[in-house]
Amino acid sequence: MKLLKRITYVLIATLILTSCSSDDDVVTLPTCEDVIDGTVDICVLLTENPDNSLGLEDCDGDGINNLTECENGTDPTDSFLGDFQNGLFVTNEGPFGTGTGTVSFISEDYSYVEQAIFNNVNETDLGNVVQSMGFNDGKAYIVINNSHKIEVVNRYTFESIATISDGLDNPRFFVSEGNFGYVSNWGDPGDNSDDFIAIIDLITNEVIETISVDFGPENVLISRGKLYVAHKGGWGQNNIISVFNTETNTFLTTITVGDVPNSMVILSGSLWVLCGGNPEFTGNETNGELVEIDVDSDTVSQTFNFETTEHPSGLTMDDVNLIYSLNGAVYSKEASSTELPSASIISGFFYSMTANDGKLFATDAADFNSNGTLKIFDLTTNLEIESIEVGIIPGGVYFNN
Amino acid sequence: MSRFYHFILITFFCATPLYAQLDSIQELKEVLILDSKLNEYASGYKLTKISDTLIERNSASLTDVLRLNSTIYFKENGYGMVSSPSFRGTNAAQTAVIWNGININSNLTGQTDFNTISINSFNNIIIRSGGGSTQYGSGAVGGSIHLNNDLVFKKQHKNDLNIGYGSFSTLLGNFKTVQSNEKKYFDLGIDFIDSENDYDFINLDQKNENGEFSRLNISANAGSKTKKGFLSWNSNYFVSDRNFSGSITAPSNDNYKDITTRNLVSWKTNRNKLSSTLKVAHLFERYRYSPNKEKEFFFEGKSNTFIGDYLLEYNLLDNLKISSVLNYTYINSEGSNIGNNDRNTLAAVFLLKHQVSKKLSYGLNLRQEFLNEFKNPFLVAFDVSYQLLNWYSVTLNGSKNYRVPTFNDLFWDAGGNKNLQPETSYQADFGNKFTWKNFQFQLNAFYITSTNLIKWQPSDSGLWMPINISEAENYGAEVSANYLIAFKEHQFSTSINYAYTSAIDKEKDKQLIYVPYHKTTSLLNYTFNNISAYYQLLYNGTVFTTTDNLGIVEAYSVSNFGIDYTFQKNKFPIKIGIKLNNIFNKYYENVAYRPMPNRNFQTFINFKF
Repeated sequence: MKLLKRITYVLIATLILTSCSSDDDVVTLPTCEDVIDGTVDICVLLTENPDNSLGLEDCDGDGINNLTECENGTDPTDSFLGDFQNGLFVTNEGPFGTGTGTVSFISEDYSYVEQAIFNNVNETDLGNVVQSMGFNDGKAYIVINNSHKIEVVNRYTFESIATISDGLDNPRFFVSEGNFGYVSNWGDPGDNSDDFIAIIDLITNEVIETISVDFGPENVLISRGKLYVAHKGGWGQNNIISVFNTETNTFLTTITVGDVPNSMVILSGSLWVLCGGNPEFTGNETNGELVEIDVDSDTVSQTFNFETTEHPSGLTMDDVNLIYSLNGAVYSKEASSTELPSASIISGFFYSMTANDGKLFATDAADFNSNGTLKIFDLTTNLEIESIEVGIIPGGVYFNN
Repeated sequence: MSRFYHFILITFFCATPLYAQLDSIQELKEVLILDSKLNEYASGYKLTKISDTLIERNSASLTDVLRLNSTIYFKENGYGMVSSPSFRGTNAAQTAVIWNGININSNLTGQTDFNTISINSFNNIIIRSGGGSTQYGSGAVGGSIHLNNDLVFKKQHKNDLNIGYGSFSTLLGNFKTVQSNEKKYFDLGIDFIDSENDYDFINLDQKNENGEFSRLNISANAGSKTKKGFLSWNSNYFVSDRNFSGSITAPSNDNYKDITTRNLVSWKTNRNKLSSTLKVAHLFERYRYSPNKEKEFFFEGKSNTFIGDYLLEYNLLDNLKISSVLNYTYINSEGSNIGNNDRNTLAAVFLLKHQVSKKLSYGLNLRQEFLNEFKNPFLVAFDVSYQLLNWYSVTLNGSKNYRVPTFNDLFWDAGGNKNLQPETSYQADFGNKFTWKNFQFQLNAFYITSTNLIKWQPSDSGLWMPINISEAENYGAEVSANYLIAFKEHQFSTSINYAYTSAIDKEKDKQLIYVPYHKTTSLLNYTFNNISAYYQLLYNGTVFTTTDNLGIVEAYSVSNFGIDYTFQKNKFPIKIGIKLNNIFNKYYENVAYRPMPNRNFQTFINFKF
């Protein structure tokens, strides 16, 4: 009976496969356990999710998944690099102190979602407080703050390649150029004198140099051979951007901006830094500022001031627009406009925001102790088009293209 | 013959078990209980006494004793670290710890860390199930734990020395001397423990790092009978130095030091039908937390509490007693994150107990607070107990209870919310007790509904703030059974506790995190002449770690086995013993990603002279 059942499945599956195998939208989720007789020339495909073009299993066992490989058992011309080749990652911080953070994968068309992909692929926990992620070539670098390490993985398969921990202390953000990675580190958060940038040799995956910096280095960004480090201030508040030459790995200059520079982007040839301002509880509340920096001279060219009680965050960009979050709403400012916008485009408080390709990817961390949500808005209509459950405290969205 | 009975009596108490019900213990005249309310105004409540034997056997901490012998659940951040109870599904700040009648929950955190209570300093530990805010104030919502130093006015000169050594370089010791006669009483106790606490994480290539702890407790109690009453002084000094261990995924380098001191002077006078008790107390607590123990940087906080308490008791009739209490409390707290703030509270309490007949009694308690800045709820409690049959009695109680916001909740920089109001809750408890000779069976059902629960959550500006927002509904049942069988010199006794607890966050309609649906403890005890052996089994059901109930800590069961032998029982008794914990070497976590110890042992030697 069982055999009969299996043969029927195979027949149905083969039919489906042959009838639509030229169509990329085919809905096939192969399960290779069901291969009928150990020889791998027929693979059972079951229809499950009509929109799913991903999630294919590696039928011929070569480490590469391909739709065609299940037909003929080989995949001669395969540009498919892994399950997570096309789509986006969401880093989820995870519960602080007592658990593991995760990375969620969402396919390009949002139809396929897989949680905790590092944990699934490598059968081990990623670590505590997954802070951020960066890329270099075919690799992704996942920065894990409270575990004081970076997990290096294949960005398409998420298989672990290396763990970098020596030389890191409360790492925050990663950026790379050529064969070097740059990581901002708080050191001991209670100590303002031990903060540093770690430089990683991406060939050996070792920290080769550390550069002492002023306290609270957070976001990092590289543009035209220069590394920009925003000193948000860790447990306290800072107000500078420090600049380094990435060829010589030497310090260039410090740019003073507003208080608490929490995010920055490069747009229209300028570096835009969003400063939250000192919060009220500091007893020295200051207004938020949006600062434009000329990247040739590394000087401030323009400053937009918010009201004293306004503390914006989450600067991202789309096309010619700078997008940020303020008082439970999202605002969009054309880079060239001379004033801050007065009307918001979207309402909601988001833990992180990333714009990409006409869409805004905003995360909602809910109560910070249960799974959060990724909300996707169309930036032409400003309407929500998707809402996808992700992991605990989703703090970053990254595109794997 | 009389010696034989004496022997039986002693073995009964030593071998029994888990606990004995309070009312089954004859209250001896020479024993003076400072917290008289506990026995006199609680006939409809379930009171459970932790026996001395149990205390002796789990001498490391109050957490260990209660975890293994009661249905109270403990969320312990790794062995010896911060330990918070959940009593009937309520949180740690809703479980009051009462020291000789005085609420000692921290003004800063609202809770007591049960790993900072040295059990050997007390001669009477009682679990009072059910709400007790009318009598004990803030936080007695799920139940309360009573740590008592009873004064015994009889001629005795007792010295007790206990030294133990165990796995993970654990050294512990305690010494207690009691000197008393019919008029005067004095005791002094010293208790310490020091442990590397570097146990292996089973099946993981990791150890419990940065988990070292040491604790020292000194207590002294003195009393003197006067013509018409007594005068007494109780004091307790506690110092602890702990590193806070890391979890599987995150190392740690923290250190936490805390100090508490407590002093209480009580003066009672009786005049015919009237008696009055004046109490004056001072409590002090201080903590110092270093995120990195190698550096100078730390956070600290301290709090001083001054209490004046006047109790007037009047026997209206032989079987009807009323009391009124006026309690003035002044608290001053100061710290890195909370500035310097104080609070005055005046509480007026009325208590009534009517023993209608030998079988029926009921009580009524009222409480109202003044002076502080809260909208103080008017609290009421009533209780009834009725002996239906010789072997069957029922109890019923209902109460309105509260918990005031802590100084951290109110003043924490940043986020503290000065507009917080007390949490309030209503609870009811129905108990059935069956007693047949050597068999006792007890069944309690409870219901608690709480509103205005204080919860820290991010505001729109991203700043975490506490607000009175959550509501919870708890219900469940507790079963306990004790059985004793004696055959010649052999004695077997067994005790089992089981609790089912449903605690629902009403907003999400999910079980609250870190509240197990099921918890069971059991003890099997065997005594033969000078040998005593026992087996303990704890089953702790699955708990949720996230509010959507997707993250869990798996259920576990742990077994311990112990054996001890007493030399020269009648002259100069010396007892030696060994206890094996987690005998099956099972991996278990109490808090997610914080494994508990692998198989380990403790040995001890005890001298009484």
